[in-house]
Amino acid sequence: ESEELLVEEV
Amino acid sequence: MTSSTVVAFDASAPWQLNEQVSLRDESFGALAYHHGTRRLVFLKSRELVAVVRQLSDFDSADAAILALVPEGQRARYSTALTSLVRSEILCER
Repeated sequence: ESEELLVEEV
Repeated sequence: MTSSTVVAFDASAPWQLNEQVSLRDESFGALAYHHGTRRLVFLKSRELVAVVRQLSDFDSADAAILALVPEGQRARYSTALTSLVRSEILCER
């Protein structure tokens, strides 16, 4: 069980 | 040196998926590709994809988040939308 980034960019 | 426009994210404003962006659903969420800037962005939750796809149905980003995101997750999703605006995946209507 919230800390993972929802958006990553390349 | 290329110039770029810095867009601020006003959550009380109406936003939509940029017309230059293709969104492809994936098991983890979706891939967003901007044909103009050639940026590839990973949307890493299906809930975020739902918010992005339905943004244009709401009067503001705040309203979309309020309707579609559980209370404890809203700040996180607002941060995600801020990032998507900075990447020009979203644009103001």
